This record gives sequence, C-alpha cells and structure tokens, in this order.
Amino acid sequence: MATKKNQLNSLMMKTYENSTEAIFFFDIEGKAIAINPAAEKIVDPEVLKQLLQGAEQALCQSCRGYTSDTDLHTCLNCYLSSSHPDDFSSFQVYLETKDKGVVPYTATFHTVDFENGVRVFMLRNMTKQFKTQERLYQNRMMKHVIEAQENERKRISRELHDGVAQELLSALVDIRGMKYMPSKEEILKKMKQTEVTMTRLLDDIRNLSVELRPAALDDLGLEAAFRSHFKRIEKSYGLSVEFRSDISKKRYGSEIETVVYRVCQEALLNAIKYAQVEVVKVFLFEEGNTLQLIVQDEGIGFKLVDKPLGTGLGLFGMRERSEIVYGDFDVTSGISKGTRVRLKVPVGDLRKEG
Amino acid sequence: MTTNKDEYQLEIELIRSTTGCDLIAVALVDNAENQFELKWKYASGNLNNRFKQIVLQSGRGVAGIVFKTGKPLLLESISESVENENLFNYPILTFEKLESIGALPLWHEGRVAGVLLGGFREDRMMTEKLLHHMLEMIEQGIGNLDGKEWVLVDGYKEKPIEFLNDENV
Ligand SMILES: Nc1ncnc2c1ncn2[C@@H]1O[C@H](COP(=O)(O)OP(=O)(O)OP(=O)(O)O)[C@@H](O)[C@H]1O
Ligand SMILES: [Mg+2]
Repeated sequence: MATKKNQLNSLMMKTYENSTEAIFFFDIEGKAIAINPAAEKIVDPEVLKQLLQGAEQALCQSCRGYTSDTDLHTCLNCYLSSSHPDDFSSFQVYLETKDKGVVPYTATFHTVDFENGVRVFMLRNMTKQFKTQERLYQNRMMKHVIEAQENERKRISRELHDGVAQELLSALVDIRGMKYMPSKEEILKKMKQTEVTMTRLLDDIRNLSVELRPAALDDLGLEAAFRSHFKRIEKSYGLSVEFRSDISKKRYGSEIETVVYRVCQEALLNAIKYAQVEVVKVFLFEEGNTLQLIVQDEGIGFKLVDKPLGTGLGLFGMRERSEIVYGDFDVTSGISKGTRVRLKVPVGDLRKEG
Repeated sequence: MTTNKDEYQLEIELIRSTTGCDLIAVALVDNAENQFELKWKYASGNLNNRFKQIVLQSGRGVAGIVFKTGKPLLLESISESVENENLFNYPILTFEKLESIGALPLWHEGRVAGVLLGGFREDRMMTEKLLHHMLEMIEQGIGNLDGKEWVLVDGYKEKPIEFLNDENV
C-alpha cells in the first residue's frame, strides 16, 4: 500500500515537473504556492515574482479575460474570486504570454485541499485545436463559395446558350428566308420582325453584362452605379429603393467601390427575397474618414442565430468582402423589427487611395 | 367603336367568369422608344396594380419563360414546385398571392406576342384540363392578336402541345 502511494507521489511530482500543462497552486488568500515549469515558461517573469509574493491580482496582468455564456472575453465574475467556483471546472481563458502574445487556453480551476482551501489552476494550450477548427470551417465555406461560383457560371452559360444563341439563330433563319421571298411587302414584314429579335438580343446581352459587372461602377463611380442598379431592381422586382447619398461623384479605390457595391447588392437582394416589403432604404455617406453604407428595411426580420432560409452564404460573403478593405460590417435584425446592414470602410487621408 | 383596350378587358373578364380563375392577366410587348418591353397590361381579379410596373425579362419569371419558349406553363402547386427563396423571381405570384397557375403564349403572325395567365389563390385549382380549356378560348386570337402559330405557306400542321412544368422553372 505504502509503495503504491509512494509510486503515485513520484508520478504526480513528475507530472508536475514535466507536464505540458501549466499548473498553479493557490492558497486560500490567492497567493501562488507553487508554479510548475510549464507555467513559468508562459508567464512574464515579473508577473511570476508577484504571483509568488501573493500580490493582489498579479495574474490579472497576464489574463485577458475568460469566455462566459455571454461574452468571448470577460472579467465579469472572475474565476479567481468567483463565489461559485464550481462553474470553473472547465472554461476558456486568454493569457498574455511571455513570448507568444495572447493565447487561448482551456482552463480548470478547483479546490484540491478542502481543509486548507488550496486550489489548482491548470491551463492547456488550445491554439492548435483552434487552428484545426478554423481550417475546417474555412474548408467548408470555401466549398460553398466554389459551388456558388460554379452555379453562377452555369446560369450565365445557360443564358448565353438558351437566350443569346437562340435568338441569334432565329434572326439568322429569318434573314436566310428573306432571300426566297417574292414580294417586297413580305420582306419588309420579316425585316421588322428580325429587328424586334435583334433589339431584344441586344437587351439580353446588356443585362447579362451589367449583371456580371456594371460598367457604370468603373466609369462613373458608386452613386451613379447605385442609381442605375436600383432602377433595374424597381423594374424587375417591383420594389422601390429610397436612396440617399452625399458622396456625389466622389471616387474611391476600385477595391473599396467594388466591395461597397457588392455588399449593397447582396443586402438588397436579401430584402427582396425575405423581408416582405415594398420599400428598402439605402444610405451612402461619409463620416469622419469612413465611407458608410446602410441598407435598411422594415420587414419581417430574422434571428441571427436561426438557420437561414437560403444558403446563409450571403452574409458570410459580405463580411469576407468587408475585411478585404478593413471595413467594419454588422447586421442588426429581429423578428418583425426589420433588418439593417451596415458597412463602414476607412477612406480618406489615413489610407492611400488607388 | 370599341377600343383595343376595352376589347382585351372584355375578353379576359369572360375568360375569368368561364374558368372560375381568381386572376386573369395579359402581358404584352410594349413598343416604347424602340425598346421592346414585356409588361402585364390587362388584368381581371387583381388585388392591386403593383405587378403592372414590372418590366418582364425574356426567359425570366412566368411571362418571360412562356414568352421565350412559346410553350404553355402549368404550376399546379406553387408551394411545391417553386422554392421559397426563388419565389422573388416571380413577382406576380407573390404580389397576387397565387398558389396555382397556368400560362399560355399569345400568338400573332407566327410569333409570340404576349402571355395569358390564369391563376388561383388556392392550391391545385389550375389543371391541365382547365388550361386546355383556356387555350381553346384564345385559339381564334385575343384583342388585336390573330392567335396564329403557323403562317407557313406549305400549310397548317397540328402540333401536340408540350407542357412546361417545374423542371423548366
Ligand atoms: N432583409 C432580411 N429580412 C429577413 N430575413 C433576412 C434578411 N436578410 C437575411 N435574412 C435571413 O438571413 C438568412 C441568411 O442570409 P444570407 O444572405 O446569408 O443567405 P441567403 O440569402 O439565404 O443565401 P444566398 O445569399 O447565398 O442566396 C436568410 O436565409 C434569411 O433567412
Ligand atoms: Mg442572401
């Protein structure tokens, strides 16, 4: 029995010395009694010294908050001083490390010596799991993006094949037939019909080209491109867009213009598809070195956490695009409270345009 | 003298009362400023006029598909055949709260010149039989359209009617 205990003791000591997990023992007053080598490796030497001296809130200098039910990083109801220590059997905490910056850890904090109130605080590095998780998520999203791209190509290809090629063929047949027509009257009639076909064909091609990328965006800038886009929306979907802008003909970098245009396009399409409204408001303005876009409807709204009715890729894409131009993107919505999408992009002197 | 407008209106009122449809609408090509726009022009039984503002693109939406293919379209149950997130592509269905529709091409001098739509606000009310019935009513033309699908010199050829359904939407 005694040998077994001895063996365990020595194993525990080895675990303490060689574990990759950081282990801290705190006495009842919150003073660190012992800190293992793994812990010494991550904590700043100055903080380490204070911890051992029991300086109040020494750990706070390194701690960047833990993840609670409501927040990603919080100090509210701190695990060190919490009156419900049971809640901290396993949680996530962020620490400023000696040489690797802020790192996420899985932590446990609980009492091991009830008589003397000694508690142990253990940390396991989570960076790797985080990275794997993130990569998985990105993989999944990437697949969605590729699929969406492929679908878009299919649509364009079909439109070219069924629309453009078809109409062109029918015009060609008409023209061929004209050669054999006996009367001038018949030829004139046929020509009139061919003219109709060609005009429609021209329209189709124009529409297709604008959908791919509006020339107005490159030639005339955001405001003009928006105006013609909204006109098309009103014509095709019977939804009116109340547009207010104070940027006039001002130009921004083409990257910024593209992002703002696409985000607006997506947000507007969402309103058409889901909001059940007749009017959508769009605002475009500058405020203190940022260009802001707001797309707002007073429709049925949705809960951000709910499963999307469609793919859910739209909002993801908007956020991704915003990040390219260091933009700040947010969505607010609630059941029967309407939806507001806002994008803030830094512009002006701070960033080089072009 | 009855104008074109009155003529269309009278004819679609008649079609509505004989078929029992909730809505009958006619889309025609508008020859405005050399642009050939397809729009819903006449309606009977409509809730409002919102859908008349929409310019229909060839190949898109109910009228656009029928216009381009020249074939009848039957959607007996819209909730079953059109996915919710695609419904916005068919504004007349949402604006007029339609649940079951049929649409026919309107022929003039061997070309599609417009579209006739019959719709119900109840599921599965439009049937193949009813659509055939509608077709018979417009075979001799409607308004100023002659209804002639064939103007070939070699003579008239009966053609079996091909129906478009969900797969083409
Ligand atoms: N303006 C809105 N009003 C009501 N619900 C909305 C609105 N915008 C988005 N939603 C809801 O949020 C979900 C996610 O939208 P998101 O744009 O990310 O994807 P999607 O529109 O479903 O798919 P995609 O954009 O790829 O076509 C939608 O499915 C819908 O349920
Ligand atoms: Mg979307």
